[in-house]
Amino acid sequence: MKKLVLGLLAFAMVFAMVSPIVAQAKKPLKIAFVYIGPPGDMGWTYEQERGRLAIQKAFGNKIETKYIENVPEGPDAERVIRQYATAGFDMIFTTSFGYMDPTVAVAKDFPNVIFEHCSGYKTADNMATYFGRIEEARYLTGIIAGRMTKSNVIGYVAAFPIPEVVRGINGFTLGVRSVNPKAQVKVVWTNTWYDPVKEREAAVALLDSGADIIAQHQDTTEPQKAAQERGKYSIGYDSDMGKFVGDSVLASATWNWETYLTKTIQDALDGKWKTHAYWGGLKDNVVQLSSISSKVPASVQSEVEAAKKKILGGWSIFTGPIKDQNGKVVYAAGQVIPDDKQSAMDWFVEGVVGKVQ
Amino acid sequence: MKENSSQPLVTMKGICKSFPGVVANDCVDLELYGGEVLALLGENGAGKSTLMNILCGLYRPDSGEIEIRGQRVHIASPNDAQKLGIGMVHQNFKLVDSMTVLENIILGMKDQGFIPDMKKIRKKVLELSETYSLKVDADASIWQLSVGEQQRVEILKLLYRKAEILILDEPTAVLTPQESEELSKIIHRMRSEGKSAIFITHKMEEVMTFSDQVMVLRKGKVVAELPTAATSPKELARLMVGREVLFEIEKKPFSPGPAILELEKVCAQDDRGLAALKNINLNVRAGEIVGIAGVAGNGQRELAEVITGLRKVTSGSVKIGGKDLTNAKPLQVIKAGVAHVPQDRSQVGAVGDMSVASNLVMKEYRKKPLSTGALLFPSRISAFAKRLIEAFRISTPSTETRVKFLSGGNVQKTILAREITACRNLLIAVYPSRGLDVGATEAVRRQLVSQRDQGLGVLFVSEDIDELEQLADTIAVMFEGSIMAVLPGGSADVETLGLLMAGVQPSNSCDRSNS
Amino acid sequence: MKMVFEKRKNVSIGAQFLVPIISFLISLLLSGIMLAVFGSNPFTTFAAMFKGAFGSMNGFSETLVKAIPLMLTGLGVALAFKLKFWNIGAEGQLTMGGVATAWVALFWGNGIQGPLLLVVALLAGCVSGALWAGIPAFLKTRLKVDETLVTLMLNYVAILFSEYLYYGPWRDPKGYGFPGSAPFPENAWLPRIAGRAHAGLFFAIALALILWIVLRRTRWGFEISIIGASPKAARYQGISVERTIMLTMLVSGALSGLAGACEVTGISHRLQQGLSLGYGNTAIIIAWMSQLNPLAVPFVSLIMAGIMVGGDQVQLMMGLPSAVGTVIQGLILFPMLAGSLFTEYRVRWIKADRKPVCVEGGA
Ligand SMILES: Nc1ncnc2c1ncn2[C@@H]1O[C@H](COP(=O)(O)OP(=O)(O)OP(=O)(O)O)[C@@H](O)[C@H]1O
Ligand SMILES: [Mg+2]
Repeated sequence: MKKLVLGLLAFAMVFAMVSPIVAQAKKPLKIAFVYIGPPGDMGWTYEQERGRLAIQKAFGNKIETKYIENVPEGPDAERVIRQYATAGFDMIFTTSFGYMDPTVAVAKDFPNVIFEHCSGYKTADNMATYFGRIEEARYLTGIIAGRMTKSNVIGYVAAFPIPEVVRGINGFTLGVRSVNPKAQVKVVWTNTWYDPVKEREAAVALLDSGADIIAQHQDTTEPQKAAQERGKYSIGYDSDMGKFVGDSVLASATWNWETYLTKTIQDALDGKWKTHAYWGGLKDNVVQLSSISSKVPASVQSEVEAAKKKILGGWSIFTGPIKDQNGKVVYAAGQVIPDDKQSAMDWFVEGVVGKVQ
Repeated sequence: MKENSSQPLVTMKGICKSFPGVVANDCVDLELYGGEVLALLGENGAGKSTLMNILCGLYRPDSGEIEIRGQRVHIASPNDAQKLGIGMVHQNFKLVDSMTVLENIILGMKDQGFIPDMKKIRKKVLELSETYSLKVDADASIWQLSVGEQQRVEILKLLYRKAEILILDEPTAVLTPQESEELSKIIHRMRSEGKSAIFITHKMEEVMTFSDQVMVLRKGKVVAELPTAATSPKELARLMVGREVLFEIEKKPFSPGPAILELEKVCAQDDRGLAALKNINLNVRAGEIVGIAGVAGNGQRELAEVITGLRKVTSGSVKIGGKDLTNAKPLQVIKAGVAHVPQDRSQVGAVGDMSVASNLVMKEYRKKPLSTGALLFPSRISAFAKRLIEAFRISTPSTETRVKFLSGGNVQKTILAREITACRNLLIAVYPSRGLDVGATEAVRRQLVSQRDQGLGVLFVSEDIDELEQLADTIAVMFEGSIMAVLPGGSADVETLGLLMAGVQPSNSCDRSNS
Repeated sequence: MKMVFEKRKNVSIGAQFLVPIISFLISLLLSGIMLAVFGSNPFTTFAAMFKGAFGSMNGFSETLVKAIPLMLTGLGVALAFKLKFWNIGAEGQLTMGGVATAWVALFWGNGIQGPLLLVVALLAGCVSGALWAGIPAFLKTRLKVDETLVTLMLNYVAILFSEYLYYGPWRDPKGYGFPGSAPFPENAWLPRIAGRAHAGLFFAIALALILWIVLRRTRWGFEISIIGASPKAARYQGISVERTIMLTMLVSGALSGLAGACEVTGISHRLQQGLSLGYGNTAIIIAWMSQLNPLAVPFVSLIMAGIMVGGDQVQLMMGLPSAVGTVIQGLILFPMLAGSLFTEYRVRWIKADRKPVCVEGGA
């Protein structure tokens, strides 16, 4: 693998000077998606599938799409990706962090196939990576949670202690503390993306320990349901979970892959596709803040609106002063955490209860 | 139930059954009337068990018909047979070892409800065992019972199921003389109640005392059917074997050598943890047959097991060939040249699921030429097996036939063949002629004597006083784990032996030295 | 009509071949009906399944990838089952094999140079699997503790232990927090022979042959058969039942341990989740379907792996929900399992008009 380890690349829109891979094709472009959960999870995979359906509709018979669900991360994922590559697919989207190394391995053997991996950091000539700054939307939901909590304890059900998730927790917490410096965000790790039972259990444990709002970084709506059953609020993620669970979901930080997918597939169709590492934010429309529940007072809603404008205006949520969990200022006022530090983030900001491990 | 004495209770017509390589039943006709006891005779492998297994629904005939009380029936399973009032006690019992007596009795019965009413069942079982004097501990697990007790459980099981036609496959082979006596009482009682029985045996006296009618099978065919009153043991033996059977055996004069086996103050416990051997002192010398007389279940099995390392002594010592082998591993004892024909042939002596050849080499496979180092030589093994099959007249379709498909007598012959061949020093034979036909019994006795004549020691356990008198140079009588007396063979009268076996010490005869 | 099962006296050669073929056809029929219900053409789907599993070098190599651990664990389980030692812990033994191999590969790389590291790592996997299987064997022979429960529980212990390692102390410091150890140095990689299929295949086939010979041709194999058939008889024949059980279980565990070792050195090149996809449990089915015959194990494993890989095609290519793929795998397996029952037993139909008991125009 040494040969393949490319190190961490700075995230920028377009990279490398590689010549286009896919020539203009008369046949439809065959595209495959590899999912970690089922599209019915109402969360992560649901959004990926929404993206797939959208592009299928948009491109009509110019493309042909297939997907496979419930593919576990780990060595067996390589088999599935390889099977698609063997079966003559032109473009393969692998949509979970743990598919990164398997995708790299298959990409090496199929130089004429385009691979797109979601949420990782490794790329190759024929393998791009794409992701979004969901923490921007999370910051906004944090404002709502900070205003709505009464116990000043907010629970956060989190999948893996990897930078992607840590960033989300920090962004959310910064949002919370921007309006309520007394509130704390308690983190519980589930060590799984998709496991409705474990996700629910973690939420219940947080509620038991005093949390009155549940936020999450998982693939399903189970934590939301658990909170609702206890008569508590929650903050959604992935999709607009209020639609599935009800108005106890105050707001959700959501994904919207359609814009990005349309662009990169168009490039492939035009033969202009080049490897890249895409990392869009609120202003690119790849992440969004869902509609806000009617339970949230108008004053809070306008507070959120103001913050959103600031972000759209180019302000980074990771702008100092930022303190770590010990209260030490790690980024001074006005200083912004650079992208490469963000993408390797392995520490919590002040206000988070829990450890990165 | 009305019984029409002119109409048979059971009619089997033209029953044929073959197994790969053998015709077990060849067009057999059989009739059994109500209140009649039929004795089924024949050499080992003649097809007796097969015929009865057909009647009780275990096997299906290739052709032929069965009528019960004049009506055509198809008996597809033992359950069907049970509904027709047919019950069988098999040659190898079919009890579940880990279950209790009561559980075994109701096992497989369909009309007991989901949760059987154990109180009611217990009461009924106790009643039955009272009426037929079949004493047994209802809560003991089967593995704790002696073979004789297990037999009682089997009979109780049938009585509990209201069997009208009782099939007993060599029932007395494992019973003590007293138990046989009781069995004959049960059979008589059932007969007087209008029930009937078919029983298989190799013992002529039993045929004469138990039965009304005799049927003789040879090689799957009926060779004779006649009323018991009209025949004699000698004639029956001739009909079975097809030649005269000599019951005389020639022996060299008795000249014992040095002691091969020395037991000193040996004590041991049985499976239930009760004292089974109490201070046993016993010697077996080269060129000597020591017969252990006694009613089964008085410590004979434990005695054999203590010597062969299968059971621990709690005190005392065991010496073989002068070497101390107290509580030695079974392998050490085998290596000391001891062979053992165990009491339990189906579980211990033979491995039913393995081939005849495998069973025959289970003692010798460790040695050249059957193996070198870790490697076995299949061709040599099969040659070795063929030699033994011939020498001991084991009737089997091939060397590769699994032992469980052999007839009961041939299983015993397989064990005997292996053990006698492997014997270098001492042969321990526990009821070796059990289940053997007259011809084979004669052959085994000859084998034991020839071992002795070659200067080996033989420890021979039997309940048959005649057999002991005929073979043993020295007779030790066992009762409740102790040796009551040691007497020179041939000298003891049947009367005295009988008393000793029953635990009665005739005055002034406690002579324990046999040197 | 009434149906009764009869144990076959002798399994005829015909039945041995015919029954699997018939049961396979039944599987196809059943799953074909189900596919039709889901609105997809059964023929194209089966063709896709077959093509996916065996049709291309790539697909076939993926089938081999799955077949290798199935073969090794299948052999281990079959060996234990010969003794009637119900080792259902192949999954745990495999995992512990993978853990020990990873330990050597990750931390001994400086001390051991070149391909020797791979050899030591594989051996460590065998030893670790063996020791893990030795625990239930020890408890059974010394304390008469039932092995079924112990082997089952140890599966969980092993899996949790491996998780602890790659979530905790062994987590790759350069892995951005994602669970999984650091990658092994390349001299601890098992060479690949085609696609991802690795040299573990040679081990599996060679071991199947060796085991077959050992069981038929050696004293040890003979003793195993005797103990399996009747421990009482074995003791009486002077065989040390305890020692043989212990030794056999060590070998059984070593085989499963090797499966784990091959998985980490041949496929994932690190210790991470998804080390075993239930191979050790599938091995139980494989051992049964092979009737505990080591020579049959590789073939049965290959078929099983083919079903697993091909089943995914249903989803991959036909766009059916993953549940359909799983159900088809089950539909294929079930008749095959039932089929192996029928090679041992036969069914007799008794006509209803001839009641089992009695009554037919008597006199
Ligand atoms: N299930 C079976 N499979 C194959 N062969 C069998 C089976 N049962 C019996 N045989 C064969 O049929 C023949 C008759 O056996 P059977 O058990 O009826 O003899 P038997 O008269 O009861 O003898 P014994 O007095 O030794 O018990 C024997 O050659 C035996 O090997
Ligand atoms: Mg018989």
